[in-house]
Order: sequence, then C-alpha cells, then structure tokens
Amino acid sequence: MSRHNISRRGFLKLAGASSVAITAGITGLPSPLKASAKQEATRGARFLKYDRGVESPSFCEMCFWNCGVNVYTRKGIIHKLEGNKLNPNNRGHLCAKGNAGIQSTYDADRIQSPLIRTGKRGEGKFKKVSWEEAYKYVYKKLNPLIDEFGPETLATFMHGTGEPYPHMLTMAIGSPNITIPAYSQCMGSREMAWALTFGTGVSGHETFDMSNSKHMMLFGRNMAGSVQVREAEDFAEGLARGSRLTYIDPRQSESAVRATDWLQINPGTDMALALGFIHVIIRDNLANMDFVRKYCYGYNELSKHIKKYTPKWASEKTGIDAKTIERIAWEFAKDAPNVVAIPPRRMTRYGNDTQTVRAIAILNALMGNWGVPGGIFIRNKVPVDFPKEELPDAPDARRADGVGEGEKYPLAPTSLGRTNGIYEATLTKEPYPIKAWLLYGTNPLCHSSVGVNNLYKAIDNLELLIAIDTQFSDTVMYADVIFPESTYLERYDAPFVQKDKTPFIALRKPAVKPIYDTKGCFEICKGIAKEFDLDDWFEKSPKEQVEELSQVLSKEQMETLEKDGVLLFEDVDPYPNASGSALNFSTSTGKVQLYVKDLEEMAKKQGDDFSPLPIYKDPVMPKEGEFRMLFGRTPHHSHARSQNNWVLLELQDDTPVWMNPKDAKKMGFKDGDMVSLVNAKTEHRSDHSERLKVTKRIKEGSVFIHHGFGHTTKAWTRGYEKGTKENWFISDGVDPLSGAAAFHNGFVKVVKA
Amino acid sequence: MSLIHKKTKKQKNLAMVIVGDRCIGCDACYVSCKTDWDVPAMKEAFRTKVFEVEGEDIHGNPTIGFLPTLCNHCDNAPCVDVCPTGASFKRDEDGIVLVEPDMCIGCKACMVACPYDARYYNEEEQTVDKCTFCLPRISNGLDPACVSTCVGESRNFGDLNDTDSNVSKMLKDATSIYKLKEDEGTSPNVYYVTLNY
Repeated sequence: MSRHNISRRGFLKLAGASSVAITAGITGLPSPLKASAKQEATRGARFLKYDRGVESPSFCEMCFWNCGVNVYTRKGIIHKLEGNKLNPNNRGHLCAKGNAGIQSTYDADRIQSPLIRTGKRGEGKFKKVSWEEAYKYVYKKLNPLIDEFGPETLATFMHGTGEPYPHMLTMAIGSPNITIPAYSQCMGSREMAWALTFGTGVSGHETFDMSNSKHMMLFGRNMAGSVQVREAEDFAEGLARGSRLTYIDPRQSESAVRATDWLQINPGTDMALALGFIHVIIRDNLANMDFVRKYCYGYNELSKHIKKYTPKWASEKTGIDAKTIERIAWEFAKDAPNVVAIPPRRMTRYGNDTQTVRAIAILNALMGNWGVPGGIFIRNKVPVDFPKEELPDAPDARRADGVGEGEKYPLAPTSLGRTNGIYEATLTKEPYPIKAWLLYGTNPLCHSSVGVNNLYKAIDNLELLIAIDTQFSDTVMYADVIFPESTYLERYDAPFVQKDKTPFIALRKPAVKPIYDTKGCFEICKGIAKEFDLDDWFEKSPKEQVEELSQVLSKEQMETLEKDGVLLFEDVDPYPNASGSALNFSTSTGKVQLYVKDLEEMAKKQGDDFSPLPIYKDPVMPKEGEFRMLFGRTPHHSHARSQNNWVLLELQDDTPVWMNPKDAKKMGFKDGDMVSLVNAKTEHRSDHSERLKVTKRIKEGSVFIHHGFGHTTKAWTRGYEKGTKENWFISDGVDPLSGAAAFHNGFVKVVKA
Repeated sequence: MSLIHKKTKKQKNLAMVIVGDRCIGCDACYVSCKTDWDVPAMKEAFRTKVFEVEGEDIHGNPTIGFLPTLCNHCDNAPCVDVCPTGASFKRDEDGIVLVEPDMCIGCKACMVACPYDARYYNEEEQTVDKCTFCLPRISNGLDPACVSTCVGESRNFGDLNDTDSNVSKMLKDATSIYKLKEDEGTSPNVYYVTLNY
C-alpha cells in the first residue's frame, strides 16, 4: 500500500531546508528573526475560532449502507461531514470514504450536463444537450426497439438510493428485466442460504451482534477492511470487551489484527471446515439441544450426514490441523449461545457458495444463537403505516436472466434478479435479444462476471445504452446518452426507512444547490417517462415524500426527525429468544431448517449441488505455474466508485500483487519486483505493472490484489489507469443454487513486467 | 532532557489516549482531519496518519498492527526550542504546541527537529503546519476531528488534570501504557494503552 512508503524527511530534502536557520535555532542564539511583543501577544489567537456553519441532515452515499451524516456548510459551500451520533448505522462516526464525500460534489471531473454520444462507443466524445433533447433521444431510440423486440428488450441495472425510480420507469415500460448487482455480484448466495435455513436473509445491515459476542468466527468476512461503519464498530467493540476471534481466510486481512486464531485456510474449502466443526459439535454432544428440539428441523438427518466429515478429513481439505479444528469447535460451543459464525458478505467465490453458507448457518443454529445477545439479533420493522405506493402491474414477459418459476434459477428473487444473467442474455441473445440497457449508478465493466472481454462484446450488441450517474465510470463512457445525477449532498431523497435492531427513519435534504446542470434520479426518470406518456406513475417527488411523513408521524415525532435527522423506534426487542418469547421462522417447515426439505426434488433431478444438506466438493485448482486470483476490499475505497477521489487516492492508488515467499522463491521473484498478471485462460495480459508484495500474509498458491482499480475512463483525471483491474483475471462461474456469480476460480500467471 | 525546559504547571493537561487494540486501520482520522483543516491535496501533507506495521511472531507467523500517529504536543518540544521566530510555541494554559502562521518563515528547522515527523510544509500557505489537537474545535465544545470520527473508538481526548475525565480513567485502568520515543526526552502527551475492557 502506498501509505507505508511516504517519508516527509525525503520530501524535506527535496524542498531544501535552510541550514542557516536551523543552526540559529538549535544553538539558541539571539536571532534577528525574533518576533515582536505584539506578535507574541496575539500568537495563536486564530486557533480559538471555529465556524461550524449551517447543519443539514443527510445520510451517506459513498457506499450503500447510508450512515447518518450531518453536513456543515459555510457560505453555501460544504465544509465538513460528520457522523450523526443518533443514527444506529454509525453512531457519530464516518469511515475514510464517508469523510471524503465532499469531494464527490466538488469534482470538476463530474458529469456536468446531459450528454449525447458523438464519437464511437467508448471513445468518450459527447455533445452537451438540453434535458429535453436527451429525453427525446431516449424515446426516439428506445421506442422502435420496443416495437420490434417487445418492452423486455430493455434491461435495467440499479444501485443507489434513487433505485425506486428506474425501477418504476422500467416496470411502466413493461420490462421485467430489472436487476440489482448486490445480489448476483455480491451477497446473493449468502442471502439464499440464510433464507433457506432461517427464512430470512442476513440483510445489508448485518444482524450479527458482535459487540456482545464471546466468540466471533469470521469465514472470510473482512469486518475491519471492508469498513461498513456499524459492523466495524461492533467488531472493534466486541474485541475490546474480550471476545475470541477465529478469523478464517487465506489472506491475513485487517480483520486478523487481533485474531485469537487466524486459520490460513486453503481457498475454497470453508465448507469443509464448517462441516468439520459441526461434526465435532454433534459427535461430542455440544449442540444447544433445547434450541434444536424446539426450533430446528432435520437434526437426525444432519447427524447421519455429518459422520463422514471428521476433523481428520476436514484437515486434509482445509490445511488446518485436526486438533485445532477440535479445539475451536469446543471453544465455540463452550460460549454458546453468545457466539456467532459469520459468512462472507460478497459470497461470489467458488461456485459452492450457497451450500458453504448453509453449513455456516447450520453451525449457528446448533449454537441456538438466534435472537440472543452476542449471536444473531432480530430486525424489527418501523412501526408506521406508510402510504401504499401504487406500482404498475408486473410485466407479462418472461425474464431474460433465468430467474423465476420454471426457469433455471427458480429460487433467485425476482426483486433483485441476476445481473450476470442479463450480461449473458445480452451477449448470447438468448432467451431473446436485449437491445437496451439503463444503468443507474452501476458500472458493469468493473463488476463483470462474463469476463471483461465478453462484456465489451455484450455492449456491442446493444442499440441503446442509457446511463444515469454522477460520474463518468468505465461503462458510462460507453453510453449513448448520459443523464447527470445530483450527488447525495445536492438532492432530496425519499425518507430512509430501516428495519433493524433499533428501527429508524432518516432524512436527506440537499445541503447545497446542484453546482452543475444536474437533477435527482426521480426528475430524470420522470422526464424520460413523460416522453412515453407514463409520467403519471411519478406522482410524488422525494421532497413531497418527506413532507408526507407528517401524515403518518405525530407532531412530536416529526419535530424530532427534523431536529435530529433521524427518528428511532426503540420500544422493540432484538433478542426475543433471550427474553423468553417464542420465535417464528418463515421457512416452509416454520422451523430452522438444518435439512432443507424444499430442495429434495431439485436434488433428485439436478444432483448434489442442490442437496438438502451441504455436500462437500473439492474446488477446481490452478495448474502448475499458475496462481489462484483472489481479490478483496480495501478500507480506503468504495467498490470501483471512489478511485478518482483525491484524498482516498492518497491513501491508496495502486494494487500491489501479494505473493507468498515460497512461491516468490520458486518464481525467482523478490519483494518490490514489478510484475504483470496474465489470465491463464484468456491469455489477457494486464497492461499495468504492479509492485510485488512478498508476504506470508497470503497463502501459497494464491495471489491477491485489491478490488476496484484499473479504470480506463479518461474522464477521471486522477484515477485513470491507477492499479490493476481484477475483472480481467477472475472466473465467470455461477453458483447453481442462487445463480449468483463465482469469481475465485480464476487463475493467473505472474510475469516480470 | 533539555536544559531550557520550563517546568510550569499547566491549567489543563490535554492528552490523546489511543487504545491500540481498537484501531482497525480505516484511516477515517486522516480524511476527517485533512478535510476540516484544508490540508493540501498531496500525500506528504497530513497532520495525522495511521501506519500499518507488519512483523512476525516468535513462530515466524506474520503479524499486523496499526499505529495512529499525530503531534505529541511534547512538554519538552524540540520543535519549539529550534524555532528562530517564536512561531512554534507551547501554550501555557493547556500544553498545546502550535505554529503561528503569521510568524513562521518556513525555515523547516522544526520539521528536522521533530522526532515524530509530525510536521509538514504547507506549500499553499508557505508555512509549516501541524496538528493543533483541534484547538479551534475543542475551544468550541467539539471533540477533535479525528476523535469524533474514529470508527473503532480508538482515539480519546481530554484533560489529564481532571481525574474524572475519560482519559484519566483510561490511564488509571490501562494494563500497559506506552509513549513514542520517550528516550528522546520529549515528554510526549499522546499515550498508547491496552485496556482490559
């Protein structure tokens, strides 16, 4: 990381310090430079003043977890962002990204007006147009495509607080192809496994009660390094209160800092480890049988199934010795139920991801930690009857992404869809041609799952690419028409309603007027809809939705919300199990499903991947001379969105390639060598060279780089071509159960640059 | 110990107490600080910074840790001693070490003298700049910018003369207390502690 290599001493030499003055000072001689008495008297007075400026409430949009933010402006210019102490998402803190949010607004590289492409796709030549022209352009191009291919030829990708509006627009036009990459590119397999077991997902704001935990077991979940503020706070708090930490990862990430045990597991074998733990727990009668008898379905099936997964077997698969597996299983069970086993968040890894998380879910269930402090807390709804929003009827057309009843991925949720499925459909024109994309805040070229090569080909198949964004991402550069969105500091958004441990409503009001010719996503989508005569669906603007709260909240509640920027509903119980209330699970058996009966039929037809109990399968392995390509988050950047932010670039502007010393020796490399990655399958060679970081912190046989770099958009004057884009080197697998992507079976060669 | 060290009792004894175990290396402090004080957009310019320290344990296993750094507001500040103009000075009332920009001639003697590399040269202002313990903020009832944003609640700030203050209690309860480069005789006011809670 670049942050370790800065020497201001070095900088000092370059700047040339005055040796004369140094001598004068050090020897303490009377100096002609000494200050006057008046200067002495007023010295430092300026440091007593602080103009905090005008405060306005918002929530963060540097990533998607929406921490509470108070925005401070001086003379109409945003000066400082501070965490809102009352917001449960961050309790007053912001991460580096959140603190750097101001730069997202005052960035001359932003999209400053509506644009229509004039050059070739991707060339970056656009002409400035009026909003009317841009809206009309969409109609002129999209309407003939709808006539020829049906409305389903439009596919929409969305990520951000404005999601309801592209959603509404696409529904009104009549296409079912709406996807949110957070499913298939990120959490899909985890959420699927949790839902099959517990009847509900983990959710974006995770339900792990780490601050009260006695033992956190993290399966490749980098709590400290992928900083979502509340999770990171709870993690640090739990550790400070003495929780044990078992950290399982081929890479020693930031989260391993205080691990009681860091298990440097063989990549792709997490399921074997979880099964090994379960074996010990069942064999030695360590399960919480009160909970199991009362709430779990299929304990007998599990007991039989788990017999073959002995610690010795798990040890051979995972590379972790059997004694350690036995010891940790005992330690974990000893502190039950105040323990929690946490699956990865971006569980798009080895293609067995849903079943791996199933094993982790079972491990939790056996501890009886549901609805217990230190285990898994229950999310409660905001107890307010919000006015029902009228939506267009669900489109009749079949989805293109393989989601839905009778399709290849019948279990995947239609509300989120499979982004990777849309890529594939666009590329193959199956089951029907996708001719238009609407991107809202998404950047497929930086989160691909069909391989970047193919994604460029998929984009070639499009007749129309519409983008709504604040900045020129790699993919926005390929757009035919671009609508500039106002940043989160410049716009209203609908009230933020979070189902949570302590549910709450938060407000976002514009702190400043848009500094360029931009609009909110609502206005943009309504503008497009008007051309199709569909703007009746866009009844209430975000501002009106905020104002409408006064109809459902009391006067007192409204005042609190206006004053604090957040309104908490504290009269709820996140720990119903601990407080003796009966638990409900919305699974088909009404119980926690150790054994998932719903999968029996699919397993019969489609095999082990669909087994009602997780069946272990070895991961695919690299050939001799190749390495498994691993990637993950840095605490300094949000996805692939923030690499043009100057202050975050100071913290990290490159992606050193991590390699184990044994591998480096074999290859004849040493620390600091410049290397390039070559995709072993496509032979694509990175045009960027990287510093080799030789470290035991990465497992032999794998290399690691950070996610989100290597941007090709020339509109980014600071972030252009910084670091390597991992997309060129990852696999394009699919988890057969969830339909989400599998990225970690990509293999690379490492060559001297 | 420097011979010219004045021993005066401060009304307040302001100090930063950093719970080392709680730092997760997120660098929120770095950005919060740079933003609040308009620190120039260059890597060499910062008032606080977190170092990632990689090492090995006795078994040869890799270890990592994080070391947040800032001005130590030393009781015996070498930067003050070497300043030819009196621009660098230590406030009697609370011990904060400041640089008065109007008096700084940019000679950088203080930058050389500081054993903590806590100062940088602000090219825009043509003066040396450094951490002020957020004097403008604390004078107006706010926590320092780095403390208020600290995700792991690693950073704590307060008056050690006040036995009821958060920082006094932490030092009392600490199982280990460490200060950087104490052997240089600087008497720093940034404490690194381990706690049992």
